[in-house]
Amino acid sequence: MSNLVALHNNAHQSLKVNTQLAEAQGGNLHMIPVVLSEFLKLAVQFPIVLTKNKDTGRFSCITLFGFQTNENLFVKNGEWDSLYIPLQIRRQPFFLGNSSEVENEFVICIDTDHKSLQSDIGEQVFDTAGKETPYLENIKSIFAELMNGEASTEHFVKTLAELNLLQPMRLEITFKNEESMRIDGLYTINEDRLKTLEIEAITKLHQQNYLSAIYTMITSVGHIYGLIERKNKQ
Amino acid sequence: MNTAIKSIVIVGGGTAGWITAGRIAAKHKSNTSAGIKVTLIESPTINIIGVGEGTWPTMRNTLMKMGISETEFMRECDATFKQGAKFAKWVDGTPNDFYYHPLMLPQGFNKVDLPPYWQKEFSHQSFSDAVCFQEQVCEHGLAPKLITTAEYASVANYAYHLNAGKFATFLQKHCVNKLGVNHILGDVIQINSAENGDIKSVTTAQQGEIFGDLFIDCTGFSSLLLGEHLAVPFVDRSDVLFIDTAIAAQVPYEQEDAPIASHTISTGQAAGWIWDIGLIHRRGTGYVYSSKHTSHDEAEQTLRDYIGPVAKDLNFRNIPIQSGHRKLFWKNNCVAVGLSAGFLEPLEASAIVLVELSAEMIAEQLPACREVMDITAKRFNETFLYRWDRIVDFLKLHYILSKRSDNSFWSDNRNPETIPESLQELMQLWRYRSPGNQDFTSNNEVFPAASYQYVLYGMGFKMDASLIAHTLDAKHLAAEQISQNAATIKKALNMLPTNRELMKKIHEFGFASV
Repeated sequence: MSNLVALHNNAHQSLKVNTQLAEAQGGNLHMIPVVLSEFLKLAVQFPIVLTKNKDTGRFSCITLFGFQTNENLFVKNGEWDSLYIPLQIRRQPFFLGNSSEVENEFVICIDTDHKSLQSDIGEQVFDTAGKETPYLENIKSIFAELMNGEASTEHFVKTLAELNLLQPMRLEITFKNEESMRIDGLYTINEDRLKTLEIEAITKLHQQNYLSAIYTMITSVGHIYGLIERKNKQ
Repeated sequence: MNTAIKSIVIVGGGTAGWITAGRIAAKHKSNTSAGIKVTLIESPTINIIGVGEGTWPTMRNTLMKMGISETEFMRECDATFKQGAKFAKWVDGTPNDFYYHPLMLPQGFNKVDLPPYWQKEFSHQSFSDAVCFQEQVCEHGLAPKLITTAEYASVANYAYHLNAGKFATFLQKHCVNKLGVNHILGDVIQINSAENGDIKSVTTAQQGEIFGDLFIDCTGFSSLLLGEHLAVPFVDRSDVLFIDTAIAAQVPYEQEDAPIASHTISTGQAAGWIWDIGLIHRRGTGYVYSSKHTSHDEAEQTLRDYIGPVAKDLNFRNIPIQSGHRKLFWKNNCVAVGLSAGFLEPLEASAIVLVELSAEMIAEQLPACREVMDITAKRFNETFLYRWDRIVDFLKLHYILSKRSDNSFWSDNRNPETIPESLQELMQLWRYRSPGNQDFTSNNEVFPAASYQYVLYGMGFKMDASLIAHTLDAKHLAAEQISQNAATIKKALNMLPTNRELMKKIHEFGFASV
């Protein structure tokens, strides 16, 4: 259950967020949406691929934590075992909601039922004077990066689709325990198409700073082997 | 010196003309200087018939080959999905009398011959429902795919229902803008012969004389080039197929977001049958009937009764139908595609598929020069005469097993003298075994054995399997297929959106190409 309310310095003056518990809530996610600005950090450990939104069929960039629903191979005993934690995880337990006062404005909301708010320890959201703490300022900057990132990532993905640079990825994995698994619904860069892309298109991709993102994605796909390794060690 | 085929002239701009132009232009690079020149002459004064709003799954390949986006095609042609046909009231005319001819093979078709097992142990369930999950998908009004499925890919095999007028316009735009087809508006007033009897050129009222190495006759029923000018006779098939008139009406949906049927509905009537095809904004309906078995007024009333109260505000259009085809389709340097080649009642949507098959063969096997054209022509004629015969057989099959007796239309159809010998022979064989691939061994088959199974057992045909009882040792395998199908039905009903829902998403978001 979740109960979303707009964050307010009076109502939530004494609120404390247990950040470890907040992030550990991502322990049951096997993928999460990511934005362009975090590609380089993600690519150190995570595969960055694409999947289709099931309601719209549109592509979005995601990173993989596991091979099936509820499987996160990067969270062990409630702790992230990774060098970088994606923005969509770090923003927890906060959300963006539509402002009830100003149209097209967003306000930061909080899920008051979130487990990370149930303990007495953790980061203070407001100080005793009701002023935002550096912790909340950091959360706000995460949302700013996500908001900008979503728009630019959407444009990036649209460009890839228009240039026919995407191809389905079919994974047939056999794990150490002989268990094998077929994974559909993931997409990646079509390298053959990329190699034969007209020079004008390549130049444009470079100018948009998309070319490096494309190669980052291609390189990151190798981390699927890292994921298999993690699964084998379980 | 060989006379290379460098320039192709298509006369007529309906579905047939543009599909043929598109397939040839795409294959032969008409948008490059090295490619073959394709010119399409369209009359600014003659309206297209817009025959057929139903296609076969082959249309997906046809569109792909022309480099067309499925999303654009569906949006601009009001297209919806078609997953086969539901034949209602064909057996005895009672309210629950129906069967399906879906677009997918029976479950495990290549592993086990299901009909004898189905007949013995599972015939409490209809054949189409027991062996193919698509019937339930249609009965629930569901789409054959998801918004996340790539363009032209499917969960369940599918074809389209489309607005034929919009389709011709859409193809025209694509052919002219992308494929390099030269579009000329002009009325052909004269056809000019060369010494060897070939067509040298056609003279148009507006654009003068137009020369070509190969002429394609897409002039509709008038068959201006092949029938009229080259005097290739018409082979009347109304001795087998009695339908000779259609009365059609477009029916608006009661609400904007009313469900869209995911299949063609064909409902048997006293002297023919009514088609019912769901597009985005309206349904297309029509009664095709034998004027020897009912009067025009009766026919119109029958269609009005079928449509219901809204019929009073609708326009009804009459279209005469001549069942049959030309004796040859390719003569000299002229080949006919579409209605100019022939027409049969639209019971199995054979009109557009014949256009596609013709366009494909012309594009793929285009003679390099005039010297070898007669050989291609001979092969084309053999191929298509075979195909027309098989279609005639298959259409007739729908009639001969009916038990209806409300009009002599049905009993006349059962008269052995009206049944082609080829079909009679197959019916003899199938008294003791089911239709199989061994019955259809040509490379040019139109309907696979599975289609015959769906119609045969859908119409209640009984096989005497006692003489092959000793070969029936796959009982478990057969039972497995039936339960596998039941499992697939459950999965499909869970996963697929309604046809209307998916149409909305296609118009809002579109499919991705992968």
